[in-house]
Amino acid sequence: MEIFLQLLLNGILLGGTLAIISIGLTLIFGIVRVVNFAHGEFLMIGMYAVYLMNQHFGVHPYVAIIPAVALLFMLGAGMQRFIIQPLLAAEGHIQIFATVGVSIALMNAALMVFGADVMTVNNPSGLGTGSVGIGPLRASTGQLLTFAVSLALVGGLHWFLHNTFLGRAVRATAQHRNAALLMGVNVNRIYIFAFGLGCACLGLASGMIAPQYPVFPTFGTFFVLTAFVIVVLGGLGSLSGALIGSILIGVVDSLAGYYIAPDLKEVVYFMIFLAILIFRPTGLFGAGRGSE
Amino acid sequence: MNFLHPRVYLSLAALSLLLIIPFSTGSNFVFHLFILICSYAALATAWNIVGGFAGQLSLGHAVFYGAGAYVSTLLMLHLNLSPWIGMFVGAAVSIVLAVIISWPCFRLRGPFFALATIAVLEVIRLLVINQHDFTGGAAGLAVPLKIGAEWMLFRARWPYLLIAFGFLVITLLVSWKIKHSRLGYYLIAVREREDAAQAVGVNAVKVKLIAVVLSAALTSLIGSFHAMYLTFIEPGAMFSLELSIQIAMFALIGGLGTLSGPLIGTVIVLPLAELARGWLGDAGSGVHGLVYGLVLVAFVLTIPQGLVGRFGERVSRWVDKLPGSRTSSPKPKVSIRAAHLSTTIGAPILVAENLHRYFGGLHATNDVSLSVKEGEIVGVIGPNGAGKTTVFNQLSGFIQPSSGVVKVRTVDGQWISPSSPAEFAIAGIGRTFQIVQPFADLSVCENIMLGAFMHTRDPEEARQIACEVAALTDLTQLLDSRAKNLTVGGMKRLEMARALATRPRVLLLDEVMAGLNPTDVTKAIEIIRRVRATGVSVLMIEHIMQATMTLSDRIVVISSGAVLMDGDPQTVVSNPEVIEAYLGKEYNHATA
Repeated sequence: MEIFLQLLLNGILLGGTLAIISIGLTLIFGIVRVVNFAHGEFLMIGMYAVYLMNQHFGVHPYVAIIPAVALLFMLGAGMQRFIIQPLLAAEGHIQIFATVGVSIALMNAALMVFGADVMTVNNPSGLGTGSVGIGPLRASTGQLLTFAVSLALVGGLHWFLHNTFLGRAVRATAQHRNAALLMGVNVNRIYIFAFGLGCACLGLASGMIAPQYPVFPTFGTFFVLTAFVIVVLGGLGSLSGALIGSILIGVVDSLAGYYIAPDLKEVVYFMIFLAILIFRPTGLFGAGRGSE
Repeated sequence: MNFLHPRVYLSLAALSLLLIIPFSTGSNFVFHLFILICSYAALATAWNIVGGFAGQLSLGHAVFYGAGAYVSTLLMLHLNLSPWIGMFVGAAVSIVLAVIISWPCFRLRGPFFALATIAVLEVIRLLVINQHDFTGGAAGLAVPLKIGAEWMLFRARWPYLLIAFGFLVITLLVSWKIKHSRLGYYLIAVREREDAAQAVGVNAVKVKLIAVVLSAALTSLIGSFHAMYLTFIEPGAMFSLELSIQIAMFALIGGLGTLSGPLIGTVIVLPLAELARGWLGDAGSGVHGLVYGLVLVAFVLTIPQGLVGRFGERVSRWVDKLPGSRTSSPKPKVSIRAAHLSTTIGAPILVAENLHRYFGGLHATNDVSLSVKEGEIVGVIGPNGAGKTTVFNQLSGFIQPSSGVVKVRTVDGQWISPSSPAEFAIAGIGRTFQIVQPFADLSVCENIMLGAFMHTRDPEEARQIACEVAALTDLTQLLDSRAKNLTVGGMKRLEMARALATRPRVLLLDEVMAGLNPTDVTKAIEIIRRVRATGVSVLMIEHIMQATMTLSDRIVVISSGAVLMDGDPQTVVSNPEVIEAYLGKEYNHATA
């Protein structure tokens, strides 16, 4: 029983890490309607940025979040402006190819620049690497913090989208591009902002998870497929869906890894993914537009 | 295939360069490069059958490649079976796999299909790693080195090149055959507009499955061969997402859905990346991947339709100036539309009994019964939102009624109840859509041919039928224009023409005159008359009363989902209830 509870807790906490990575993806899809296959590579870039700042200036990864967020916002905005925007009218498969191309290029560029070595941040303060006891259970402080931050991120984004003028413009654009255009919303600028915002979430994510995960050029692929599973599970475009989906997948990952086999846990959640795609393509909490 | 045509002899000459260049240099590296080109071009061509012709963006095609490689290697290891036989077992396994994967996934559109194929690829890869006692796990398997032609294993490179070239030729032939057959047209139709394709009798799931099965089998055969060439296989390389993306990318760069595109894309990009890797060798390991990524983004941003899509027509025009390309004289016209008037004119042909249809709480169709006699024109009128189109959708299988039946009398007098749009079309119910659904990128002629394919497999014959139908619907001058360039009137006539080409016995017309100018309306009325003269029954929803009154033998009024009245035109329009349904109570009071 104690093992089960510990596994459950591990799963939920892993869910926090997955959530902070997936939120940006679902945000971008929900607004720009583009599935960004390069999402994982943006995370990888964020991780390298945090790593470099840590190495050269000795800052704690949590501090490096601020420049990482700014950097990724600009990368995302640039990607939207120069790659996605010219293709908005193109067919869906063309956009997929474009983001896949960016993904391959970034991954290999990182391989050229940094080599294939696994790199870890220096963290002499120990903040974000220890663990605390909760009754008989143990929890990693880094994961606890990440979980709290991802909750705050979902809450903050929700507040922003519902209570600010810009947020409303973003939601209007997401719901009907042309109607928003007629209401005087600069749709292209909203898209650039939204793509940047989605990527900026990854800047936050990379700082939060850097104490726990080393970085390497294919780091993105390690997480991105899981992020897709989560986002489809929660319903593409749904923030709270992504959060709940993350926790579900985290728990499945943790339990399946122990009770079935460590190397089959991905099989389990990919099977769930396929089942969701086939039987409920709008996701568990989707707004019913998933098959668009 | 006419070998004297310049398109054919030039293509064959270009293709033979793939053999001539390596044999004339004799260098091992060049042989290796050309073996890679031939096998990747074959993979890309096979992928294009699904990704290009059928428009299903698969990013998990390495599943079939890996399955071929593993099955033939395992059969060789355990049963001492030659890969020449094993590869067919692998292809069979891949076909089964393809059907299991694709059947449920075809419902998914756009990125969802791509994601599902990636997920399947990952699942299979992880399972292969997990079952290590059988598959060798992550460490991989070495192919037993039994040198000899019967084992597909050679010391020299050249036999491998010949085999790879053979596979390339086979995939190109299959692809050529598909493109020039009814299947090719059907695949394009389903890719462009699934609804309209079903309305001309295309079984969308079936044609997509055929495409996937062919593509999977070919991919698997090449996978088996590649395993023998590499002599070592491991899950990471065989079931790789990277490989899947690479072959899709070659096809995209050459031109999706074109015949030569995948080959041309491979010939251009693969050597570029291989050479970049060679030159920069030590400078970094990511170079060739970086080249792939950048080339892909650059192409997508500049010529997303691919090289062949962009420049193909121009090149073909130059080529056609070469000797040998005289256009074949048109065949003597065979009249397809045999003038045999049915002997059962006047008997019911389409009957709907007590149709009910609910959308949630909305009772959209309420106890609708109607019957259409052979050779009759029935007008369906009713206020906006009355549920006329919903009834049409049930009469053509696009919506299943919640209760009630639709029956069609077949040519030999049987009554049947079809269950899908395609079955309705085959039973002789042709329809148009209120919102026109042309296959925009196809020519008018090809649009009509798609209808004609219901009764013929031969594209030439379909073209004949298309010409005849075009004459009937005043489209002859527009046969070669793209459907998207037509005027509203032209599009509506095209809708009618496509339905007529299926040689329907009942034609359902959903507001074919809405939005037309008076000249076009007169034209449309004339066409409907001509259609009826050939013995076809017409059921038409129409708001233009001039047309309804002059054409209809009988008018059915639908209001709030129910049949309000059914009678001859004069009685119907003077009926107070009908006037009330259209114009409101006040109008009756005012005139009373």
